[in-house]
Amino acid sequence: MTATTITGSAAAGAPRGSALDRRYAMLGLVLIAPSVMIFCMVIVYPLVSAIYLSLFSIYTPTLQGDFVGLDNYATLMASGEFWRSLLNTVIWTVCTLTLQIVFGIAVALVLHQNMAFRALARSLILFPYFVSTVVAVLVWRWLFNDLYGILNHMMMWAGLVDMPLDYLGSMPNAMISVVIVGAWKYFPFVVIAVLARLQTIPEPLYEAAKIDGAGPIARFFDVTLPQLRDVLVVIILLRAIWDFKEFDLIFLLTGGGPLISTQTLPLMVYKDAFGLNDMGRASAVAVTMMLVMLVFMIAYLRLTGREEKEAAQ
Amino acid sequence: MAQVRFDKVRKAFGAAVAVEGLDLVIEDGAFVSLLGPSGCGKTTTLRMLAGLEFPTSGTIAIGDRIVNDVAPGKRDIAMVFQSYALYPHMSVGENIAYPLKKHGVAKAEREEKVAQVARTLQLEHLLARKPRQLSGGQQQRVALGRALVRDPQVFLLDEPLSNLDAKLRAHMRAELIELHRRVGRTFVYVTHDQLEAMTMSDKIAVMRDGVLQQYAPPKEVYDRPANMFVAGFIGTPPMNFLSGEMTGEPGRAAFRCAGTDLPVSLAGGASPERKVALGVRPEDVSLGSGPFTGTVRLVEPTGHETIVVVESPAGSLVTRAGADVALAIGERVPFDLEAERLHLFCAASEARLLASFTRSGAPAQA
Repeated sequence: MTATTITGSAAAGAPRGSALDRRYAMLGLVLIAPSVMIFCMVIVYPLVSAIYLSLFSIYTPTLQGDFVGLDNYATLMASGEFWRSLLNTVIWTVCTLTLQIVFGIAVALVLHQNMAFRALARSLILFPYFVSTVVAVLVWRWLFNDLYGILNHMMMWAGLVDMPLDYLGSMPNAMISVVIVGAWKYFPFVVIAVLARLQTIPEPLYEAAKIDGAGPIARFFDVTLPQLRDVLVVIILLRAIWDFKEFDLIFLLTGGGPLISTQTLPLMVYKDAFGLNDMGRASAVAVTMMLVMLVFMIAYLRLTGREEKEAAQ
Repeated sequence: MAQVRFDKVRKAFGAAVAVEGLDLVIEDGAFVSLLGPSGCGKTTTLRMLAGLEFPTSGTIAIGDRIVNDVAPGKRDIAMVFQSYALYPHMSVGENIAYPLKKHGVAKAEREEKVAQVARTLQLEHLLARKPRQLSGGQQQRVALGRALVRDPQVFLLDEPLSNLDAKLRAHMRAELIELHRRVGRTFVYVTHDQLEAMTMSDKIAVMRDGVLQQYAPPKEVYDRPANMFVAGFIGTPPMNFLSGEMTGEPGRAAFRCAGTDLPVSLAGGASPERKVALGVRPEDVSLGSGPFTGTVRLVEPTGHETIVVVESPAGSLVTRAGADVALAIGERVPFDLEAERLHLFCAASEARLLASFTRSGAPAQA
């Protein structure tokens, strides 16, 4: 609070600001400078650079090329592959995020109960999140394998299918598999965040609801869910961003296949840049991706922000 | 008809016993306070009545119905929590309407009842606000409104005034008394504040360590405390206890304290206990004259009176004197005890002994 006052008066450029005031203001600048420099280096430069590259037709190995203006974008807009990848990205993000949220909340509710081995269960639940994506994907590919995977083995043993299913090589199985593995990998993040919030919901709210005649389901929708709202806004925002630009999990699991059925925009960027050696077009996809994300995020924050404001009034 | 009856109710949390052998009948329409220090079992008792805790043994009945196995929402009760427990995302109006909604009351009727309650509690202009935009007193009234709107048989109030400042508390006390008078329902009120219990209740149940100590109207609890705990807990400043012993034979006994004998008559001619404690309320000590003398240790003027602590050979005495009393610390002061208003307790069991004191030496009847 003191710092705010000091910088506030310094910023106002009060002529009678004491030497101490100015020294504090200077200290503030010095302390903030490294962050600003690092931010410029790792965020601003790549961003500007990507936008710049997207205006050229560039051969990746030599990074040589000609200025083409917005041609890359025009090509993209006309390309079916781009739209298909965008659609895939949206399907993947929406589906895997929904599963993460639903399972995350469900598991958090279970782990919030007083039960045996709760501490152990709480630690174990983090396992998928901790495990390296490469390792996780290798294990899943093994489970999914159509020749010797345990999943097919068990399904056939249980009599659910007559023939082994091709989980990763046919549609819609491939997309479903990717979505499920994504949900499995990232739902612990939701569990942890929701669990932390659950523990701070005051018990009397539930007791009041019980006395008011609310059953368990009504208590969930009338007490728990509204209390989780703020944390869910943040989780959905973060997870949507991360899922939208998810690369390694999908790339390792299906490589975007069959054909481009599970190819999302990040995979398309990779393919254009290093498969087709067209860095310009890849940059254009990346920039477009960023714009799409930006539009969604602004809309989302506006929406939740407005609800919040209404709630506050 | 909503008499509340506790029958041999016991509640244990593992090895810790919160309530032991509670027998308590709260008459229909009465305002009863459960009073006691922290951990005395008063809140557990209330929560068992609410259905938020289940008795380990014994039965609880509301009206003619034993409610041990009845869900909280079906007991026809309403509860006001210490923290108010208002639903933060709902407006004041929605908060008040919530219990009606959960009981399937139609929207039009809900709105009408909410408006009525809001009028009663002067909340009309706040109905659209969220709880966090309200002051403590307003939140308190919303919590009351949520209880009132259902018109339940029994109101349960768990230290509802403890989060308010002193002035507002006094105001809300008066409002609650008025509210109880108007709705005429049974009120069960948990508090550790004896002033609240004394001023508002028809009867007070004083509890200690899970055991009911005394259940009587406020005046009786004050004038005839059942034991030393009740005597010491009720009254500010608390009752003084002087230890001494009984002398003489039954019928002509005396309490010997600081070299002076106070003649006492024990009821039923019971033989006097040797070790006893004499209870003296601060207002029953008069300074300035009398057979006893002590040294002034502390003088605390409060404005309308002065609290004087006197050190006497029988022990330290807190006394109440007039606002304009002029005493210096260290001064020797004679004092007297108002014989008719003294209390005698058995030092071992702490129970009240039926006794009456007389000044003249002629024993009076108990």
